[in-house]
Amino acid sequence: MKAVGARLPRYDGLAHVTGRTTYVDDVRIRGTLWVKALRSPHHHAGITRLETRRAEALPGVHAVVTHEDVPKNVYGHLEALGIPADEPLLAEDDVRYKGQPIAAVAAVDEDTARQAVDLIEIEYEERPAFFDMRKALDPDWPTIHPWGPVYPHYGPYNHRRVRKGDVDGAFENADLIVEGVYRPQAIEHCPIEPQTALVVPEPNGRLTIYSCTQALYFSMGVVAAHLEWPLNKLKFVGGTVGGGFGGKVDTASETICAVLALKAKRPVKWRWTREEEFLASSTRAPWHMEIADAVTSDGWMLGRRMLTLHDSGAYARFSPYGLTKHAFHHTGAYTIPNVHFDGFVVFTNRTPTTAMRGFGVTSVSFAVETHMNRIAQELGIDPLQLRLRNANRIGDTTANRVVLKDPSTVPVVLAAAERVGYDLPPEYASMTAERRSGDLLPEHLAAQQASADGGEA
Amino acid sequence: MAKHKGRGIATIEYPTGMNQNGDPSQAWVKLKPDGRVDVFSGTVDHGQGSRTIHSQIVADTLGVPYDWVTNDNTNTDSSAVCTGTFASRGTFIGGNAVRFAAEKARERILEIASRELEIDPSDLEIVEGEVVAKGAPDRKISVPEVAAAATWTHGELITGTGAALKPYATVNDDDGSVEIEPHSAISYAACVADVEVDDETGEVTVERLIQVYDVGRAINPTLVEGQIEGGAMMGLGLGLLEQAYPYYPSPEHRGGEFGAYLAPSLEHLPELDTVIIENPSAEGPFGAKGIGEMANNAQPPAIASAIHDAVGVWVTEMPATPERILRAIEEKKEPRREGKRVVFDDELSVRTVSSTGGKGFFETDG
Repeated sequence: MKAVGARLPRYDGLAHVTGRTTYVDDVRIRGTLWVKALRSPHHHAGITRLETRRAEALPGVHAVVTHEDVPKNVYGHLEALGIPADEPLLAEDDVRYKGQPIAAVAAVDEDTARQAVDLIEIEYEERPAFFDMRKALDPDWPTIHPWGPVYPHYGPYNHRRVRKGDVDGAFENADLIVEGVYRPQAIEHCPIEPQTALVVPEPNGRLTIYSCTQALYFSMGVVAAHLEWPLNKLKFVGGTVGGGFGGKVDTASETICAVLALKAKRPVKWRWTREEEFLASSTRAPWHMEIADAVTSDGWMLGRRMLTLHDSGAYARFSPYGLTKHAFHHTGAYTIPNVHFDGFVVFTNRTPTTAMRGFGVTSVSFAVETHMNRIAQELGIDPLQLRLRNANRIGDTTANRVVLKDPSTVPVVLAAAERVGYDLPPEYASMTAERRSGDLLPEHLAAQQASADGGEA
Repeated sequence: MAKHKGRGIATIEYPTGMNQNGDPSQAWVKLKPDGRVDVFSGTVDHGQGSRTIHSQIVADTLGVPYDWVTNDNTNTDSSAVCTGTFASRGTFIGGNAVRFAAEKARERILEIASRELEIDPSDLEIVEGEVVAKGAPDRKISVPEVAAAATWTHGELITGTGAALKPYATVNDDDGSVEIEPHSAISYAACVADVEVDDETGEVTVERLIQVYDVGRAINPTLVEGQIEGGAMMGLGLGLLEQAYPYYPSPEHRGGEFGAYLAPSLEHLPELDTVIIENPSAEGPFGAKGIGEMANNAQPPAIASAIHDAVGVWVTEMPATPERILRAIEEKKEPRREGKRVVFDDELSVRTVSSTGGKGFFETDG
């Protein structure tokens, strides 16, 4: 019997549904200390005083750490992709979002750790906070990030741009221009298993890190960079996670535990409360998208102008990557020959936003598809026919010059129509994903279509 | 005051693998002396089922029964690099890593079998756990016998390593163009949403979601359906229920517990009708493409359009909460029409909200 294509039961399904899977919090090591963190109560503030002596003196406390205990405190998750570092592991001179970790304690139990956190003496100088991305370039922007209001490192630009064809010409030639604004919200990842880490110093000098990360090697790299350690001194243990959805790429608890474990010379475990999971962990980003489409009265998409603002929260984290991915997909499942896209990653005093299922594209799918339906309504055209006509076809070239080899816009639309018993005229019902020709290859699409040998237009 | 039915559609596409590539997965395979197979792939299984998928791929690549295969993804000492479980890359890139590793191990099995049978390896194949001569099926040796011979006779270990990496696609910052494909594959989907909207309470009930996904090849149709149906519920949450900041952009009144945050639950479960299309990818294992992430992308716009079909209002700030729907019905906003321009949502635009009319965000070409 072939395994591929078979409806085999999940490899680990029985253990999951009978409660026998071992998650990080199920791992118990003798002598483990428990962790609590001091988090910012302010959206934006300077730290004018930080004194941990009283916390350290509390009986049962084994270690208190601040940024001074971290060998490399500021490290960027995506430095390897050319995105510079801006986020400290533990806050230094300022806090830029409510819930930002400043110091952490390892103690004999969670209550003692919490009491110790309360004994940390800290003074803040509150600063104006910023939340509405649309006002980021206003003259009265309160300085909240040393890089400025928006991420400035897209080569020479402060935005990710896509340019193709003659957009001005497309808008001049259009019969209709439809403009709309789309604003999907931030949402929580809501994993059943909150962020949890257990770090065990081994007699041979290594650290064993039990982690709920979605990416063992990636997170190991993050910890190694903060500690300035080679990889052979770390062992990540994990691989089974109680829900991630993108939020557990952040490596939010492992490094702080590692620093505490090294200082306390004891195993330490940190399990975030549900409240921390909601309020201090990252979210899906809020997005702001403005689309203007140039269309003909018979339903051809000639051109698109689009502006996207991506709320990064207080630090860059993965946002510059997410916005580039968004830019690459801003025409959706359709072929639009003339485009002008600008996307900005905007800093706010929100909890940093991060990857979540569909990263960068969930937003643009909502905007593009709602906009397509508005166009269909304005033109008085069947929304399925509008889609089929402009659908990606074999040999079409995307906005970033990728020649499509096996697009399926047409098959999925036709299958959906058939499933709901939706009647399409024969010329639409018989469409395929094959290369454009005849009526489906109007002049405005001729230039973008790749040559028959598959070369670029 | 009445309840209104509506229908909406959305069509989406989504890339497999990290945008711009450069995200390796590596794996290795070894045989125990009785021919059973250990797979080491560092791919985290956070519910998507990669341990099952990877085991299926290895079983068929080697030609051995599925239940001979064990998967170890538990730690970084025994597993090689997997960039991670994100970017819908586990089946395609992680799956290719284990496939390549299994292909190498298969070559080793054939080599040892060749010595035992005195037949050239190119004339051998593995079928259901047995190495057989092509065209002479009675000349054969079982994989367990090959593994035993390797261990006890030849003093060799049958292993295979595999690595999948598509090179990094540099982007031109001036125009966003790339020289090489910045993804491993593209998957497509369409979603039809049937809803009922109560114009008195503003409440939307999603009654049915018809969803069509092209996944290249469904390695395990049950797990693919799990992604599609689970994704549908997340998409429903995005479209109708969830918001971290109920007074966005204000950060106040964030819900800090499940009781103060509306995540979708079984009471919201609509009738789900799922169709899988298999338009194989050129380079994925057995033609597979990614399905994981895109599964929550099509429902929100399909639902938004269904709401418009039902009550005639466009809600373009997600989620479409009862409050937003009632306000929209009350305001009955019309787009501004100016020559051939039709301008929706003026009041939400950067041009309206920023004090400078959006200076710096528009006219970026100077």
